[in-house]
This record gives sequence, C-alpha cells and structure tokens, in this order.
Amino acid sequence: MITVSGLRYRYPETDRPALDGIDLSIEVGELVGVVGANGAGKSTLCYALTGYVPHFFGGTMEGEVQVSGHDVRRTPVSDLAADVGLVFHNPFNQISGARYTVLEEVAFGLENLGVEPEAMRERSLQALRATGLDDLAERSPFTLSGGEQQRLAIAAVMAMQPRVLVLDEPTSQLDPAGTRAAFEVLRGLARSRETTIVLTEHKLGWLAAFVDRLLVLHAGRLVADGPPRRVLAEAVDQPWGVGATQFTRAVQAARQRGLVAEGTILPVTLDQALEVLR
Amino acid sequence: MRLELRDVRFQYPTGVVALDGVNLTVGSGEALALVGENGAGKTTLVKLFNGLLRPTVGTVLVNGEDTRRQTVAQLARHVGFVFQNPDDQLFARSVRDEVAFGPRNLHLAEGEVRARVEQALDNVGLREAIGRHPYDLAVPERKLVALAAALAMHTPALVLDEPTIGQDAQGVERLGALVDRLHAEGRTLVSITHDLDFCLMHFDRVAVMAGGHILADGPAPDVLRRVGLLHQAQVEPPELVQLALGLGWDTMVRTPEAFAAQLAEVRR
Amino acid sequence: MNGEAPRRPSGLQALHPLTKLALMLLALVAAAAMPTTLVVLAVFVGLLVPLAAWGRCLGAFLRSCLRVLWPFFVSLVLIQGFFTPGPTVLMHVGPFRYTLEGLQVALLFSARLLVGLGAATLLMMVTRPDALMRALVERGLPNQIAYIVVTALQIVPTFQARAHSILDAQRSRGLETEGRLIIRLRAFAPLVGPLILSSLMEIEERAIALEARAFNRAGRRTSLVSLRDTRGQALLRWVLLLAGLALVAARLMLWRAA
Repeated sequence: MITVSGLRYRYPETDRPALDGIDLSIEVGELVGVVGANGAGKSTLCYALTGYVPHFFGGTMEGEVQVSGHDVRRTPVSDLAADVGLVFHNPFNQISGARYTVLEEVAFGLENLGVEPEAMRERSLQALRATGLDDLAERSPFTLSGGEQQRLAIAAVMAMQPRVLVLDEPTSQLDPAGTRAAFEVLRGLARSRETTIVLTEHKLGWLAAFVDRLLVLHAGRLVADGPPRRVLAEAVDQPWGVGATQFTRAVQAARQRGLVAEGTILPVTLDQALEVLR
Repeated sequence: MRLELRDVRFQYPTGVVALDGVNLTVGSGEALALVGENGAGKTTLVKLFNGLLRPTVGTVLVNGEDTRRQTVAQLARHVGFVFQNPDDQLFARSVRDEVAFGPRNLHLAEGEVRARVEQALDNVGLREAIGRHPYDLAVPERKLVALAAALAMHTPALVLDEPTIGQDAQGVERLGALVDRLHAEGRTLVSITHDLDFCLMHFDRVAVMAGGHILADGPAPDVLRRVGLLHQAQVEPPELVQLALGLGWDTMVRTPEAFAAQLAEVRR
Repeated sequence: MNGEAPRRPSGLQALHPLTKLALMLLALVAAAAMPTTLVVLAVFVGLLVPLAAWGRCLGAFLRSCLRVLWPFFVSLVLIQGFFTPGPTVLMHVGPFRYTLEGLQVALLFSARLLVGLGAATLLMMVTRPDALMRALVERGLPNQIAYIVVTALQIVPTFQARAHSILDAQRSRGLETEGRLIIRLRAFAPLVGPLILSSLMEIEERAIALEARAFNRAGRRTSLVSLRDTRGQALLRWVLLLAGLALVAARLMLWRAA
C-alpha cells in the first residue's frame, strides 16, 4: 500500500535535510506508529506520505513515494486526498470554516469529491457515529471542545473513506479523556483492517498498545522498524531521544539491581511489566 | 510567596460557574500540580493568582495581599505565568528580545536584563537560538521560549499551564529538572498538567479538580493512588502507581529508582 | 446562529436565497429611485416590515434597524438642517440658520438609509450566509470567493477571543495597557503582533486542512443540502428584476423631465 524508496527531502531555505534516505514498505491494513525526538522528521514523513511534501511546502525531494497506487510526486494533493487522509495535531485549525454545522463539515470533503447527496449523507452520518459525535450533528463546529473538534477532523477525513490514514500527533493537545476517545475511534477503524493507519505520537503507552509495528526516526533516518516492545526496548540504550514509559524505566532500574534477569526484554505496558515482575 | 484561595466562587459573565467553594493554600516554596479534565476549572483557578480574574465571591491572597487591591502588572512581579499557547505572546523579532520583554517591563538595567535572558535560555536549553526569530522555531521550542520569558522575570511564584504538551522525551526531562531546580531554589510552583507521570515525579503535592471543585488535595503519592477519584476527574493514575497497585503494594513510589529500591525491599 | 438548534424554517426563511436577495435588492433600488420621503418610508413599511413579520423576526429586525440608524439620523438632521441653504428658516441658533429644506433632505436621506440598512439586516436575519453563497456558486460565483466570505464570517469572531488571550498573556508579563498615550502606543506591538503572527500560522494550517478535504480539486462538486427553488420563485425573481429596471427607468425619465 505504501512504498518509500530513497526518500530525501529538504525544506526550502534550510541546509539540513529533514528526511535523509528513507526506505519503507507498509502493507494494506497495517497499523504503524512513528516515534522520535522533535525534529527527527516525523511530521515531514507524514507530509511526504500525503503529498504536502513536496507540493505544498516546496523544497527539494529525491526518491520515490508510492501511496495507494499514486506516485506522490506526480499527483496533486487534492487528488491524493481522496485516498490518503491527513489529521494533524491542532483541532481548531482543521475546521474548514466553510460550514455551519458538524454534519455539513463532515460532508464538506465529500462535496468537493462530487459524491451524490444520498451517499454523502449516509457516509457522513456513519462517520459521526463512528466518532461518537452523532448527537452534535447540528451544532456549530466552533462550539465543540478541543477533543470533540479533533474527533470531528477524524470524522471529516474518515467520511472520504481513504485507504490510508496518516495522523500527526493527533492527541498532543487533548486531555486524557480526549486522548482515550481518539484512540477508541482509531481502534474502531482499525478493526476492519481495511484502512492502513500511520500514526506519530509521543504517548508511548497508548501507541504501543495500538500499533503492530513501530518505526523510529532519528535525524531524518529510519533507525528501527519492528514490533513495538522490541523497538522500544532497544531505544532505551540508543541516543534516539525516543523516551520510554515508566513501566520500561521501572523494570530497567530493577534489572540494573539484578532483580530481573539480564536478558529480559523490557516491558512497555502494565500487563507486560507485571508479567516480567511476577 | 504564599498563594491562597478562600471560599472562592467564580462565575463568568456568560453564567457559567467555573469554581464553586474552593479553598486552597499553596505555601511558600511548595510545588503543587493541578490535574483534572478540561473544563474542571483549573485554568480559571490559576488565573486568579495573578489577577487576570478576580473572584466573584471570596478572597484571593498573594503574599497576604488581596488581589483585588493590586493590578495585574503589579502581581506580575510576584507571580509569573506561562500560558499553554506560546503564540499568544510571541511578537519580538528575536528570541533575545522576546525573553527580555518581561524584565524590561520591570525597568531593570540593560546589563541585568541581558544576564537574565542568557540564564533563562540556558535553563530551557535554547541558548543557541538566542538570535533567531521565534517563529523559525518549532512549536515545542516556542513553548520553551515562553517559559524562558517567564523565568527571566525572577518571580517568587510561577504558574505553568500544561508545560509538557508537545515536548519530546528530552524536553520533558529538561522541564522536570527545571521544576526540581526551581523548587530547590524555594520558588512557589503551581502547574496544570495532564502528564500524571511528570506530576508524580516532580510535584510534592497534587490537587484533583472536577466540575469547579477540588476533589482531593494532598501529597502526590497519596492522592494519585486514589483510582476511583482520579476516574471521577477523567484521568488515569500514573504508570508507577498502576504498577505498584498491580503488584499489590501499599506504598507508592515516585521514580523508577525508588521502584527498584522498594522491589528489592519487598523481595527480601 | 451558532450552536442553536435550527427553528423550523418559516415561510420567508424557506425561500430560495436568491429570491430573498432579489427582494432586498428591489427594496434598495426602490429606496434609491423614489423621490420623496413618504414613498421611501412606504417601501420600508410596505415591503420590509411585512417580510420581517413573515420571517418571524419583526421585533429583532425593528430593534436592530433603529439601533444602527439613530446615530446617523441625528447627525443628518443636524448637519443637513444647518448646512443646506434654503428659503424657509425654522429657527436661528447664533449665526446658523436651520432650514426646512435641510430637514427635508435629512429625512429623505435617513429614510433611504433606513431601507438600505433594513434590507441588509433582514437579509442576514433570514438567510444563512452559506446558503446564499451556495446559491451564488450554483450560478457561477467562484468557489474560492464563496469560501472566503463564509469563513471570514465564522473565523473573524474568534479573533476577539484570541485577542483577549493575548492581552492576558502580555499583561501577565508586566505589560501596562492603561494610562498615558505613550504607554498605550507601546502596548500596540505586543498586542497586535501575536494576533497577526498566529493568524498567519493558522491560515497555513487551515490551508493544509482544506487540501485534505480536496478543496482545490478540479471537477464536479455536489451539495449535501439542496436549496429548494420553485418555478413561482424563479418567475418572481424575473418580475422583481423587471420592476427594478422599471423603477430606474422611471427615475431617469423624471430626472430628465425636471
């Protein structure tokens, strides 16, 4: 579904490349997380998968990016939008401002795609149900809370039924309840395994519990790619700035004291930690 | 710098009651974290401390003085404030000028201003960015510039609104070290945070808020183990608390090292 | 308009936006073309008021008209009364003479203004801006322009909240905003700067979000909501257009005759 080869990219008027040689392949229905320090290239990778790099931001790009059958470098962003959706971290700035109700906001993208009104209404209502916003259908988007606005952004993109959904730190501005609601929506979407999801996050606990596969970006390069637990355990000894959950750190401290076997793979979640410690 | 709320009720002009019957005292040199879902009244509460809001009913005392009798500019010398959105304040052409803004408003000598700016930027790890335009920096770094701007005012008390949002692991660690240092210096700290792990590690005291009330207020390990209460406020306990409770422990630990030490004890 | 459940559309609300626009434009043309105050007022009372009643917003409409008009009315009556030359003097105030002709000019102008403001106000009260824009886009208005108008109406009010946040943030850093002029001038950059800069950031992010909704896609667009139009209304719009043209023609002939 996604193939990236030799991707190098530099934003205009910068000297350092934001992405410095990425090779990556993602299958249909995979749930992939991307972590790394700020500035490592997570957002740039999201933009490269959705065409904003290079079309929106300009800059110099090498290599190839194929997403859902499109050659990203040769396809305008608006044409990609139907197949590859993007949700980013600021809930307020994703409200189009062109529509007065939540339902119409969700349908906005479908109107631009020329979908017939009947199908449009059905898909929009479905997206609202999937995001728990059906009670708010007649409200103005501007009266929603931050967490609700973020779910609205997800609904608006989901209604377009993209085959790939890219989310760039979608919960960074949300409170714990908002974060939980957002991940519940993603879990629902992932269940059918029809949509490929790529998600960048700092909240390692949430991410590790949700994705099958974790990528680590460091200084524009892909330095790790594998199951979340293994990758995060490896990251602990590396200068990648990925961080770790407290579960990982607690068991790491215990391991240093010899309370836990040397070869133990560090846990990421509570259940894994309890298993290791018992 | 002691901060007090006595029987405070706050109602917005729209009619919304954001705080109802709130009593809170933050002693001089204490570090308090405020947790709870959005809309619980946390931001309203902290805005009472520097006079941006005045209580509808009740009294707010900063260093023993009623805030009703002081202007925001006067209180700004005592209570520094770091807002959640750095873009609400950035306007200067360089990070240096941005951080110098506060000290200049205090009418300090230029030499003193310069020294404070450099020290504040060192504290947040952005010294090399001193000459850059704030908007050339990414959002998390702009947040650190805003923090440096407040630090440069050398206020005895400091309010932080969600300092760790958007920061990566190194950023969170640096903020944690900074909070510890400010606490050691004797500054009074109040921080709103959703990061309960950060809260447990760096704040001695936690107040949990919901619906305009304080549900609980006490030492961090004690309050943050009350899972039912935290759920009422729509938050989850810190990971180390979850781990300790999962192992059946009665005493909570605040750091991974403390965890390992206690594990060794238990295993003995 | 924001956050409220929609009232069941009354007769006027349910009309096609272009019909409502045509009615208001006719009112404007009539007000501009009619030569005497009484006739212009008749347009207000005979056209706009019944429409407002039909739209179930008569009270709000009248209050709004009066509230906006009265400062203009007072200035006009004073200025035109004192500074329009004419033979019939009503009173002397010092060296100034208040003339009947001046008063008449003031009343006519005020009446025209009343109809103009009234028409615009009523249009805004009974038509959702996005419905009007949709109707115009159907007739060929570029999508981009329609977007800018509707978005401006929705986003600009949020600037007020943002300005308040900025004021809070800067006051918390010791910025003085009250007092001598020089103090207020110094407060300008710290208050306006963040508003402009953050708005630019917001615009860029919103542009990204719009692309994600395929906004700039070439090709056919559809509409979730179809605007109900009837042959009767289409016919009425032609009639209104002709009536408007007739009024203009009549006025020009009157002018020529005078």
